[in-house]
Amino acid sequence: MNPTPNLFVGIAQVVANLVLFLALAPLFDGIVRRVMARVQSRKGPPLAQSFYDVLKLLGKENIDSTGILPFRLAPLVAFASMLCVIAILPVAGHATALTPYADTISLVYLLTLGGVAVLLGAFASKNIYALIGASREMTTMIMVEPILFMILLLGVLKTGSLDLTAVIYGTPSAEFGWPGIVMIVVSLFALQAFVARQPFDMAEAEQELLGGPFIEYSGPNYALFKYYMMLKQMFYAYLPIAMFVPLLKSGYFVLDLLLQVVLTALVFLLIGLLSATHPRYRIDQAIRYFATLFVIALAAIGAAVIF
Amino acid sequence: MDFNIYNGLMTGVLLLVASAVVVPLFATHRKLAGTLNFLACLAAALIFTGVACQVLIGTGAPATFDLHLGGLVMPLMIDGFSAVFMALISLMATVTAFYCIGYMEMDHYRHYSLRSFFFCYPVFVAGMIGIVTVDDLTTGFTIAWQMMTLASFFLIRFDYKDETIVRNANKYLLLMELAWAAVLAAGLMVPGCGWGASLHQIAENLGVVDTGLRTLLLALAMLGFGMKAGMFPLGQLWLPDAHSVAPSPISAMLSGVMIKTGVYGMLRTLFWMTPDSMPAHELQYWGLVTAFVGVVTLFIGTAQAVKQVDAKRLHAYSSIGQIGYIIMAIGCARYYLGHEAGLQALALLALFGALCHTLNHAVFKGLLFLCTGSVQYTTGTKDLDKLGGLFGLMPVTAVIAGIAAIAVSGVPAFSGFTSKWAIVGAALLPGKAAGIFVIFGVIALVTSAMTLATYVKFYGMTFTSVGVEWNEKNDIHEVSTAMLLPKLVLAAVCLVQGLFPFLFVALFGRVLATSAGSITQVLGTPEMLSSLAQSYAGVTLRLGDAPVAFSLPLVMIAMLAVAMLFALWLRKAGGAEERTAPVWLCGYQTLNNANRYLSSHIFDAFKKFMKWTGGNVRGA
Repeated sequence: MNPTPNLFVGIAQVVANLVLFLALAPLFDGIVRRVMARVQSRKGPPLAQSFYDVLKLLGKENIDSTGILPFRLAPLVAFASMLCVIAILPVAGHATALTPYADTISLVYLLTLGGVAVLLGAFASKNIYALIGASREMTTMIMVEPILFMILLLGVLKTGSLDLTAVIYGTPSAEFGWPGIVMIVVSLFALQAFVARQPFDMAEAEQELLGGPFIEYSGPNYALFKYYMMLKQMFYAYLPIAMFVPLLKSGYFVLDLLLQVVLTALVFLLIGLLSATHPRYRIDQAIRYFATLFVIALAAIGAAVIF
Repeated sequence: MDFNIYNGLMTGVLLLVASAVVVPLFATHRKLAGTLNFLACLAAALIFTGVACQVLIGTGAPATFDLHLGGLVMPLMIDGFSAVFMALISLMATVTAFYCIGYMEMDHYRHYSLRSFFFCYPVFVAGMIGIVTVDDLTTGFTIAWQMMTLASFFLIRFDYKDETIVRNANKYLLLMELAWAAVLAAGLMVPGCGWGASLHQIAENLGVVDTGLRTLLLALAMLGFGMKAGMFPLGQLWLPDAHSVAPSPISAMLSGVMIKTGVYGMLRTLFWMTPDSMPAHELQYWGLVTAFVGVVTLFIGTAQAVKQVDAKRLHAYSSIGQIGYIIMAIGCARYYLGHEAGLQALALLALFGALCHTLNHAVFKGLLFLCTGSVQYTTGTKDLDKLGGLFGLMPVTAVIAGIAAIAVSGVPAFSGFTSKWAIVGAALLPGKAAGIFVIFGVIALVTSAMTLATYVKFYGMTFTSVGVEWNEKNDIHEVSTAMLLPKLVLAAVCLVQGLFPFLFVALFGRVLATSAGSITQVLGTPEMLSSLAQSYAGVTLRLGDAPVAFSLPLVMIAMLAVAMLFALWLRKAGGAEERTAPVWLCGYQTLNNANRYLSSHIFDAFKKFMKWTGGNVRGA
């Protein structure tokens, strides 16, 4: 095969991934907002409201309370790290031009980098609320990131490779066996924590911490953080779908993709329902909850290794 | 050729000894003495590095000699591994010696004579060089170990007017002598080997003794070196106490290079002292035990580091954690070596990770201690509860510390990343062939999130957030160029290590080519080495045809840079105006000392959850 057209397709795929995520993430966020409103007997905003929010924020005043570099750098790093994650993600089974340059461990660390940027911004902002939020955010990250990793690890164990395409799509769902089923359950139970929604939104906790890490941010900086959060949310909702729901294999990329997008939208419906019906956990309760999930996931990995 | 290596080594050591005799005479002229000490270290370091290069590039290695000293005979051996450690010790010793010139001017040390300091420093360096070049566990080992231990003991208790410091130093001395006794006993108890028996002889004789005795002897050696390296639970006994009370440049040496001599000893024990006739399952058992101890060490060490409020104790506990990664990698390599070809390629990856992390950790941890030293120099405290907001006051140190903190956390494209990638990857990839290692890998990954938490806290509470303006001292400023320069050098090295891991692959290839022993026979073959493919962009591990794991920092950094440009454009796109405003605390509070978040408050729930791991700080 001639490598040049492949490279071209790969680059097109990177752009397509970015466009897909940048366009859909605010709409998916809109689904959650609408579902929450309906459950609370409100009408709710239009689906594109989150999009309007970001656009409006981009034009508003950018207030800097600290005057130091980390504060201004943090939103850029957070947003950029998430874009990188999306650029390397093999959406609907198609590797992008960048997928061969980052393996699963790189993906996990890139996700962590986004979290680090949020924390950096929070610490830089001198605000006690931001620091409390950062403390909770970091605690959640320590507990939740390994669970995400263990979901991916199932694929690593089956294929013996850390290549992302192989890890996510290399194994037919049936072959995961019952460790796979356990992992699906675990990923459902961890979903709200992955997307930082109630009952696991301790870090932002609008009612008590007024947005936590983001309290000092406004205007375009805040818009970048908001966009980052929405992209991250979409990534985490998309990942279990990609991992555990078999591809349609219709032969048409668009059709495969469409199915995945529809399923992701369903996940967001679930996220909305769960958010609207659950009160927030305290951080110490959340830690115990995550620890239980962690042990279950580890047991599933253990079983996958032994049997 | 051999003659040059030997002569170089001797010249370097003699130069250091001469410096130890001469420089203390000038100790009253503090800056002059510091400069002389630095020049001696620099000269010796250049010689040692020259020797190391010669070993790695030439064909004369492994070079073995007998050193006659009075009536004593001690075997020396310099191979690729020794060369790497020698180069590392040289680099850190020189940079730290330069830093000492400025640091020992600190107000607190004004009334302390520097005579003992400048006597001990070169002896300490010479002792470490000795440890990585002697080839026995008895005569030469004793001399080198005692030089290293006694000199570092006096360096740690430099601030002898403080009772706690003296007590911690005494404890350090006691435990290091115990470690020495353990290794010496292992060396002497081998049947047919007396004083001055080389490792090769020891390995041969260990081949004929029965399993019980062999296990005992190897365990004694591992315990001794493990004590030095900071292996759980031995490391917790001395490491945080000793590292936190020594003057900061000495802490940088202790954490950066001295504990690496323990790693060196463990490598030698597991790969050179194990006879060829040893049954494969026994070797695998050793690998498994070592990897298990490594996992416990890395998890507990890091969990304890998260809790610390004293910046230097935090670094010290984190050193235990990072050493845990290295020990785990060594254990994995030992285990995989006995297996079929697929796992042997992973042994290569694990060993590569161990070596890489040894070098990376030395640089970034040294850098962190030097940065904390600078903070202590200018603010007079290393208590994270009292610090905060130094970014605006000491920006250069803050940026350098940022690089080091990011590196230790393993953020992609910085130096901790590739080494942790190699170690975790090596643990995960065997799958069912070595299932328990997969669990180890998961725990290592959990721990790297805790490392991140530790360093987010350290960096956040020292350089960003607020607090230092309410500290006792109010003329806080950036440290002098003389103290910034060594940190800048190390920061540059740290960045290069992160961005160009292919250099490590090339180095690792040479190390294997210039060493003897079971490792080289299995791993040193060209076919095996080719599974660890290198390109300028990074490192790729191939099993069969397909690449199964890759770490490509240059691509990663390019990707991030492009994405950040896009983010920057997006931020500007709306034409928003910039304005500064005071911190908003809900309108009825002002920012003051009573109204800020302290380091001891942070991660409170998590610290309580991890209480069982020990190392708790009272009130935090």
